[in-house]
Amino acid sequence: MILDLERFQAQARPRWSNLESLLAALEGRPDRRLHPAEAEQLQDLYVRTAVDLNRVRHGALAPELMQYLERLVARAYSELYYAPPERSEIWKPRRWLRIFTAFPETFRRQARHFALAVLITLLGSTLGGLAVRYDPASVDVLLPADYLRNPVRRVHEEEQGKRRELHSAQTEAVFSAGLIKHNIEVALLAAALGVTFGIGTALLLFENGVLLGAVAVHYTRQGFGLFLTAWLLPHGAFEIPSILVAGQAGFYLARVLLRRREDRNMRQSMREWLVLIAGLAMMLVWAGVMEAFFSQHHAPVLPYWFKVAVGAAELALLTSYLLLVGRKETAAEARARVSWENK
Amino acid sequence: MIDSQPIGRPTTAEVTIVTPEGVLFRLPLAGPASRLYAMLLDAVIVLGTVNGIGLLVYWIFAKAPGFGVMVITLGEFAIWFAYGALLEGFWNGQTIGKRLFHLRVIDQTGLPLRIEQAWVRNLMRVFDALPFAYLVGGISVLSSPLMQRFGDRVAGTLVMRQTPVAAPGEDFWTRQKYNSLLDYPAIAMKLRRAATPELASLIQDALRRRNELAAYARREIYRDLASYVQSEISPFPDELLEMLSDEQYLINAAGVLFNDQRLSRVRI
Repeated sequence: MILDLERFQAQARPRWSNLESLLAALEGRPDRRLHPAEAEQLQDLYVRTAVDLNRVRHGALAPELMQYLERLVARAYSELYYAPPERSEIWKPRRWLRIFTAFPETFRRQARHFALAVLITLLGSTLGGLAVRYDPASVDVLLPADYLRNPVRRVHEEEQGKRRELHSAQTEAVFSAGLIKHNIEVALLAAALGVTFGIGTALLLFENGVLLGAVAVHYTRQGFGLFLTAWLLPHGAFEIPSILVAGQAGFYLARVLLRRREDRNMRQSMREWLVLIAGLAMMLVWAGVMEAFFSQHHAPVLPYWFKVAVGAAELALLTSYLLLVGRKETAAEARARVSWENK
Repeated sequence: MIDSQPIGRPTTAEVTIVTPEGVLFRLPLAGPASRLYAMLLDAVIVLGTVNGIGLLVYWIFAKAPGFGVMVITLGEFAIWFAYGALLEGFWNGQTIGKRLFHLRVIDQTGLPLRIEQAWVRNLMRVFDALPFAYLVGGISVLSSPLMQRFGDRVAGTLVMRQTPVAAPGEDFWTRQKYNSLLDYPAIAMKLRRAATPELASLIQDALRRRNELAAYARREIYRDLASYVQSEISPFPDELLEMLSDEQYLINAAGVLFNDQRLSRVRI
């Protein structure tokens, strides 16, 4: 049937403009909530405009009119079916503080992926360590920077305080910001590389592990084990776990993408990934501050045992945070639910 | 729910969405070029904002410039990601750049995107920006039927073109009282049957944009269109053509193609 467009438009234009003004009103509303009467009206106009669209599509040659109606139907559809988030929820500071408990909870829920990240890093560092142990010449290939290759000179310089003049609080602040930014970028990349089905994440973790193992063995063999521990542990206690958490997020993303068809709740999955990233970013801020303001001070100023002790304390704190926080709350919630169900 | 197979022969990429009620509509998708321009504009805005804040920070930390640099470095980094995520999440899927270039991010089911999706697609930029100049993202957009970069694929989002569409006005040719082509109903019927939708919309566009065209361009376009219709589709007799300008010929042809129901009452 060919439409008489002129008559059709004259009849239908009032309801299209009604729908248009209703949509404009709804879209201008910050919370995008519908009143019952509006919902009814919207539903009615939506259905009738959709019918009009169908008639134009099959009964007339009017591409511009069709485009107009498609746009109108699309807008009405998104207003009808979109459940907006509670605005009040978003602006509650308590919800923002939730991240501090949500992070360890998510961490424990996705512990398998963390284990995989640890495994790959350990594999890399074993390989790096063995390479340096049995083939010291490989140091030149494995360690990129000169200061990593010559521990004797580096330790001497550091302890002499040759770079001490650089160690004003001002330069340390700049250094720390650069570290935080760089580390978060690398960690974010490791988490995003999950999109390569985790292969990129694995390579990045492995490379990181090789470097770590090589440096550790290289310094230890030359008798600077204590120096190295004191140098790396205060910030490494947060930095290395945060890279592992980034790997965890990457592997989690890979799993989510691979099983997308089965996984109905993409929104929840995205939230888990985001919580892991928010958590590791917080860890890296702390690591960057420690690395710039604390780790770079050596023996005469700060005794090594003190630095190692601080590092160990941090590690213990982080471990108990990741393993324990949020646990009590969930137990309490579970109790509350059970008692409520029993009533 | 999503079918990337277009209906008809679209000239640009689009997504076809079928709602739960079986209503079907298409949304035009944005190409890489307009998205790049929008992103560059956003970059300028972010850098401008950061530098503006930076001046203030330097003033506050005048005694400790190192801390000033620290605040600015971290602030810039955070703003870089938060700008896109928060604006897209709370401002209908648009950043300032996207709004100016008529782009909008939506969920791939045609609904508005959620704040989680906005964060995911913006954090995924670190991957899409590899190895330089968004090469990975660009290749992803060009090779994807839904024009998605990796961030969009992960977040399940689309970037659509939202060029303003004018409400249908009163078409001026419908006010024609007398359509001389209808004096030849058989030929007019032939025109109606043989004209492709593309030709019909070409004629419609040419007429609608009459006042946007320079006089010589209008003359040429109308002449070409009219002689095409005349020679390839439906030859009306010469004595009629002598009385009609090319423009009037096209107006009448459009009347035949789009509106006139008088034809259906004519027996052939």
